[in-house]
Amino acid sequence: MINTAAVLMAEERTFTVDGPLKSIVFELFGKEWVIAETVFTQWIVMLVLAVLFFILGRNLKLKPEGKRQVIAEWIVGFFTGYVEDSMGVKYKKRFGPYIGSLFCFIILSCLMGLFGLKNPTSDVSVTASWAIITFVLVLWTKLKTGGVKGYLHSFIEPMPFMLPFNIIGDFANPIAQALRLFGNNVSGMVIGGLVYFALGSFAILVPAVLSLYFDLFSAVIQSYIFVTLTMSYVAMADMSEE
Amino acid sequence: MDNLGFVLGASAIGAGLAMIAGLGPGIGEGICGGKAVEAIGRQPEASGAITRQMIIGDALAETTGLYSLIVALLLMYANPFIGQLK
Repeated sequence: MINTAAVLMAEERTFTVDGPLKSIVFELFGKEWVIAETVFTQWIVMLVLAVLFFILGRNLKLKPEGKRQVIAEWIVGFFTGYVEDSMGVKYKKRFGPYIGSLFCFIILSCLMGLFGLKNPTSDVSVTASWAIITFVLVLWTKLKTGGVKGYLHSFIEPMPFMLPFNIIGDFANPIAQALRLFGNNVSGMVIGGLVYFALGSFAILVPAVLSLYFDLFSAVIQSYIFVTLTMSYVAMADMSEE
Repeated sequence: MDNLGFVLGASAIGAGLAMIAGLGPGIGEGICGGKAVEAIGRQPEASGAITRQMIIGDALAETTGLYSLIVALLLMYANPFIGQLK
């Protein structure tokens, strides 16, 4: 009796983790093109960030006059200081802007889940593309600081038989980085969805607490970890003697 | 029992079993956090650097757990075994 009731209840509700926006499919030049929901959400994130930083960075003065410029200077100072702490003075100017924008982009993408949109980081291709950027940066740093010879030589260090491990290690980093961000965010979404589904109409306090942990705490920690790992990978790839 | 039901049930059990791998990262992060607290107790002035290193260590320890999570998610949402039934 209870079992059949449970089955009937389960049949009425379907478990889904999709957001309110839908993917768009259209035909152009005889091919089918798909704009994924997560791409839309990323456009929203880009728009928000662009407008926010355009307003913050408009007509700056040598001596800050309003709160606006103080906030802008604090943000820039925070990220350049953070890059200087983790990578050294050499990278401060070059990496500060990239790390800052990457951090803002990731954290706002993660927080999109709070507004009911589909979290872009719950799409593995989004996180993979960010990880590939890091991979290219590492490759570029190695080639620039060590030259082609130094780069090839780094594969047989410390011993020649370490060659396969070094090659695997090079490719494992971006995969692990992409899956870490993806896994953390999608696990929160799946657990939240399952709890909603299980509680049904009794979903009052528990999902809010879960969402606080997964959407806020986890998002901040994971974006912090992502940029920190990016910085330490690039700093480790630096082969110049200093 | 029909084949589809068997595959689905076995996949659900497999997804649950895969998440047992969550034990490892839990122990690892516990050790990591404990050691970090010890280090801060010994050198309170270095707490910023220690916390930063601890979070990176946590992230690396978490990776194996996330691999198991990916396996469980594949079994739940993109089950590769159903396609092999036909």
